[in-house]
Amino acid sequence: MSDMPSANAELSAATSSSPARLAWARLQRDRLAMAGIAVLALLGLAALFGWLATSASSPWAVASLDPATVRLTDKLAAPMSAASALVSESERPFLGVYLMGTDELGRDVFARMLQGAPVSLLIGFVAVGIALVVGVLVGALAGYFAERTVLGLSIDTVLMRLTDAMLCFPTFFLILTVVALLPASIYNIMVVIGLTSWMSTARFVRAEVLSLRNRDFVAAARALGLGPARIIWAHVLPNTMSPVLVTATIGVATAILTESALSFLGFGVQPPDATWGNILADGKVFIFDAPWLFFIPGFAILAVVLAFNLVGEGLREALDPRLRHLREAAPAAIRTVRASGRKRTAMADGSSTAGQ
Amino acid sequence: MINWLVRNSFQRLVLLVIVSIMAHAVVHLAPGEPSEVDPTNPRMKAEDVARIRAAFHLDDPIHLQYVRWLRDLASGDLKSFKDGQPVVEKIGQRFWNSLPLFLVATLLIWTLSFPTGIHAALRRGSVFDRSATLTAYALISIPGFCLAYLFIMFMVNVVGAPVIGMRTFGTEQASTMLQFMDRLWHLTLPALMLALGGIAVLSRYVRAQMLEVVGQDYVRTAIAKGLDRDRVIYGHALRNALLPFITMFGLMLPGLVGGSVIFEQIFAWPGIGRLGYEAILARDFPVILTINFIAAVVTLAGTFISDLLYAWADPRIRLQ
Amino acid sequence: MRRLFLFAPALVVLALVQAYFWVPTYDDQLRRNNARAGTYIEGSIGDAKFLNPILNSDTASSRITDLVFEGLLKLDEEWKLAPALARSYQVSEVAYLGLPEGVEPDTYVDTVRAAIAKSEADWVENVVQVRLTDPGRREVQATFENTENKTETRAVDLQLPPRLEFTLRRVDQDLAARLEALLGQHFPTRWEPHSFGQWPDEVSESARREQALAAVPLLEHNPVIEFRLRDGVRFHDGHVLDASDVRFTYDAIMEPNNLSPRRADFEPIASVQVLGPLHVRVTYKRLYAPALYSWTMGILPEHLLGVATRDEGGMRDAPFNRAPVGTGPMRFVEWRGDELITLEGFPGHWQGRPELERFMFRVLPDLLTQELEFAAGALDSYVPQPHQVERFAADERFMNFTANRPGYSYIAYNQRKAPFDDPRVRRALGMAIDVEEIVRYVLHGEGDRVSGPFPPGTPWTDPDFAPLRYDPEAARQLLAEAGFQPDPDGWLARDGKRLEFNLITNNGNPVRKAIMTIAQQAWADIGVKANTQVFEWAVFLKDFVNPGAFDALILGWRLGVDPDMYQLWHSSQTGFAKLNFTGYEDAHTDRLLERIRREYDRDRLASLTRELHRQIARNQPYTFLFARRVTYAMDRKWRMVEADGGLVPVRAARSGELFYHMRHWRKVGSGAAFSARTGQ
Repeated sequence: MSDMPSANAELSAATSSSPARLAWARLQRDRLAMAGIAVLALLGLAALFGWLATSASSPWAVASLDPATVRLTDKLAAPMSAASALVSESERPFLGVYLMGTDELGRDVFARMLQGAPVSLLIGFVAVGIALVVGVLVGALAGYFAERTVLGLSIDTVLMRLTDAMLCFPTFFLILTVVALLPASIYNIMVVIGLTSWMSTARFVRAEVLSLRNRDFVAAARALGLGPARIIWAHVLPNTMSPVLVTATIGVATAILTESALSFLGFGVQPPDATWGNILADGKVFIFDAPWLFFIPGFAILAVVLAFNLVGEGLREALDPRLRHLREAAPAAIRTVRASGRKRTAMADGSSTAGQ
Repeated sequence: MINWLVRNSFQRLVLLVIVSIMAHAVVHLAPGEPSEVDPTNPRMKAEDVARIRAAFHLDDPIHLQYVRWLRDLASGDLKSFKDGQPVVEKIGQRFWNSLPLFLVATLLIWTLSFPTGIHAALRRGSVFDRSATLTAYALISIPGFCLAYLFIMFMVNVVGAPVIGMRTFGTEQASTMLQFMDRLWHLTLPALMLALGGIAVLSRYVRAQMLEVVGQDYVRTAIAKGLDRDRVIYGHALRNALLPFITMFGLMLPGLVGGSVIFEQIFAWPGIGRLGYEAILARDFPVILTINFIAAVVTLAGTFISDLLYAWADPRIRLQ
Repeated sequence: MRRLFLFAPALVVLALVQAYFWVPTYDDQLRRNNARAGTYIEGSIGDAKFLNPILNSDTASSRITDLVFEGLLKLDEEWKLAPALARSYQVSEVAYLGLPEGVEPDTYVDTVRAAIAKSEADWVENVVQVRLTDPGRREVQATFENTENKTETRAVDLQLPPRLEFTLRRVDQDLAARLEALLGQHFPTRWEPHSFGQWPDEVSESARREQALAAVPLLEHNPVIEFRLRDGVRFHDGHVLDASDVRFTYDAIMEPNNLSPRRADFEPIASVQVLGPLHVRVTYKRLYAPALYSWTMGILPEHLLGVATRDEGGMRDAPFNRAPVGTGPMRFVEWRGDELITLEGFPGHWQGRPELERFMFRVLPDLLTQELEFAAGALDSYVPQPHQVERFAADERFMNFTANRPGYSYIAYNQRKAPFDDPRVRRALGMAIDVEEIVRYVLHGEGDRVSGPFPPGTPWTDPDFAPLRYDPEAARQLLAEAGFQPDPDGWLARDGKRLEFNLITNNGNPVRKAIMTIAQQAWADIGVKANTQVFEWAVFLKDFVNPGAFDALILGWRLGVDPDMYQLWHSSQTGFAKLNFTGYEDAHTDRLLERIRREYDRDRLASLTRELHRQIARNQPYTFLFARRVTYAMDRKWRMVEADGGLVPVRAARSGELFYHMRHWRKVGSGAAFSARTGQ
């Protein structure tokens, strides 16, 4: 690790602490991001519990949390209302109370939200996973082999033009076209969202690789006889990890929103899979008659997506090497100037702009 | 310079062909048939279905269909399956309806995000910065259609102002001024909905960009030397911070077209996004393909102009 | 620079916000706008496609063309055919009988005439004339597989010998049987029309026989309809409607380039002759009673469309389709794509100027915004969803109308597969489902039980025939009779094989999804295991329905007014992508279906359809579920102007058709227009 890029080396030297720990320390000061992390932790627990308790194949399935149980006599019951006496013993909801009300078939919304939590998360993660793999691959290839040519065109040109081609489509419209024409399975939706959102990753990975390619440590690795795959994997990619992490976090948020938008148009995940998006879209027609069917999933999506976004933003600030010194230095400088009116500058550290 | 122009235009043209082939393949290889081919209509006999398929050339090999589509598009003979309308004219009409929406949305994005972003950057960590961050993220974290419904319900039920559609019916005889204002008002809510995502994202970018530029030595030096702070920041720092945004201009359009699908649906706006959505539902292949194609052309033209502007604005870059 | 950054957004926001003060509020629109009072504004999910009755098949387009165009006939308040553009119409028949071999034609005519004269009185009365025809020729389309295994069609000329021609007052589908009984040994036994022409070599002997017989059977029925048109009917542009417009409309439907979805309805027509400016005669190739209904089709103006059809390869591209001219009570004004279609009352209508001044058709793709616009008064009617009906019914501002939708939902079983080939199993599965409960809870009461293939409320269904009753205990017994006993896990099984199958439906229909969940649970209660799956429509059709590769599925039929169910139930319609996809075969059903489509007498038709209804219900090829109701909520201010000028509340036709009297509607109490006109 001694041949890590200079900015990191300097920083670790200066603070005698690992970059990750530094970033974490910075993140901890960001109260919004910490709140986001707390929400996500809660969501993770809910999703795990939901997956264990509501999936039919799970050995820990809780009968009172079966999201598919239809209780027509208790349809459209308000949140916190108790199950009526007409419901048979085996079909009573968790604790005998509809914590979040029931839908038009008398299914327990609480159970359905629990069932939907892991599915919504899965869509987000898998879509982002696909986007990252494609994006990093395309970006790394384009950047590292920029000069190699195929049929008179450089690999870089070919791959970047492909990226441009993808950017030219109105992404949502493209997703809609594909999802509407393909059978609407949950996998198709994950794959399509993934395959239409890798372009920005590819672009910044390429930029990063281009700038790292001719650095000494990469040249040294090449001189040692390491193959390109090895070099990219071991030396180039780790340096692109922080923006990738940020993109991934925000990407999950976007994927969850995209799924709900697709559900709204009728092309989302189909039953029996419940997602928060399709619970919300189904609930929209009940906005006057049973508002909880609209507001509970709506608020849940807001909370989770917001949490992902805030954590992503927090990570960006904590990890961005260019912003790193600014946090301590620049605004302070400006503030000082303003306070004193003239001339005084407080230069906390002397390092010049990193990462060029 | 000319060399660059020629090469770049050629590359974009190739790109366009690739894009259109990809779109064509996706649309034609997927299952599902135009709604005119309706096998559940008990009145429709097998030979009728065959005749319709033949009239739409659905049984030709796919590359022939592609060539035919391109040829018809070029000659203006391309007709919608759904209603026999010339596709280009139909899309043109809807595009003119959507254009004011896109313009106002763009205007909102670019005018609102800069002051917000700059202000947040200059007061990093202040209450304003934090609440701007939180608001920006909250707005893009609510599913768009959810927020649109809340706004509409507020406007219709509480304020009592019409917000659905492009205009109020019954104002045909009113003064031109009133009609204009009526149209403008009907634009406001859908354009705002369309712009929210853009405002949130762009103001974050502006903030980040400003932070970086403000941290540069020359800015700090200039301020340290006692130059007027506003002049330094708005006159010098901002100029440099603005450069990267030129490229974003060209890439903004696909996002607007995509977003318009949902908001035009909700606001009953007879625009291009809804046309596309309904074409998808009806498997109206010529319309789907042409909308994709036109969006690609416009975006490519946008990025092309962005590149030119960028080169013109930044003396460090030379077109070669 | 800094000022610009604050000034610009402020300016934009200000410009948008101040616009609010110019816009009329919903209240203003209702109170201060006189034109609003005479205007009926309706919301629709989708836009129209073709405003041309022969080209459209979607509801939005038909909504407009039904007001702009009129047919020769119309459906009256009770869904019976009644004259519209035609002043009167008469159905008669000409039939042709091939001669027996070796008889002298002239003496044979006399034999037949003498035999008829001696038979029953009503039968004698029905026969106007019997005579001998001249030899004629008939073109038959011979289809065969050519050397490249492609189906090819070629015309073959048959040189027909003289035949006997019967002119009948009324259509008689049993003519052949009567003649056979009457003539005894004089009735021809051999009839081989394929021997009258030169056939391509590729066509086999049996195919020749079959194809020639289909075109020229021994007894060929040619039903004839004669229409007398109303005098002085004008199109909206002032041009007078005449018989050649009727002929032109028929030609336009049959023109292949027009791709008319109505073509199948008019295919049985042999000829449309113009006998006078107001006199049309339509001759059919064979008995096909539903053909009568097709004359409710709007009549097109030849003077506006003739050129397009003759010279421009069809009328699909004609500008007429976006600016139609018909004879109907409402005249086309404007169409703004995906936004609005405006019609206005046609003062020159043959029934007089309509009360309704304007009709606006707003395209509002989202139901929730439709509801908001309706509640705010910007729409005059709204179709509440089942769960909303109660709320709208309780609202003072609205009146409600409920009608049955022509159609029903069902669970279909694939009778090609065991155990669904056993009617007891199908019946048991049906008895296990509490349909009443589905109607009450899923449809919120907005539906009626269906007992068989004809939905309730039509004259074709037997109102006294009870639907299958809900009785899980009896269902279990029936299954026991069929050999199913519970296995150790509690599921029913026969010969070690569980009664387990897949129940599927298409996505996008919440009611079907609900039925699926309920049926699964109801069946589980009697020990039958059903696995459920939902598929996208195209996939659902392509992979499951068309090839008949399914166990059980949930679907619905939308039906027209005519009772011809041949394609849904006849045993010849079970092939690939045919509509009898469950593989239902029953000889008695087949016979009834064939008679129904040949019966021109309404009373006899009704007794045949009721018999069919009972027969199919006995066999339970489907579990017949329910017919949905549709409820309209409408602004209470709408009134109807009676013939004597009095105002009464809007009422629907007896058939449930709400818009039947629409031309007489007027809105009261909102605008100045009303008070000015009535002096209040």
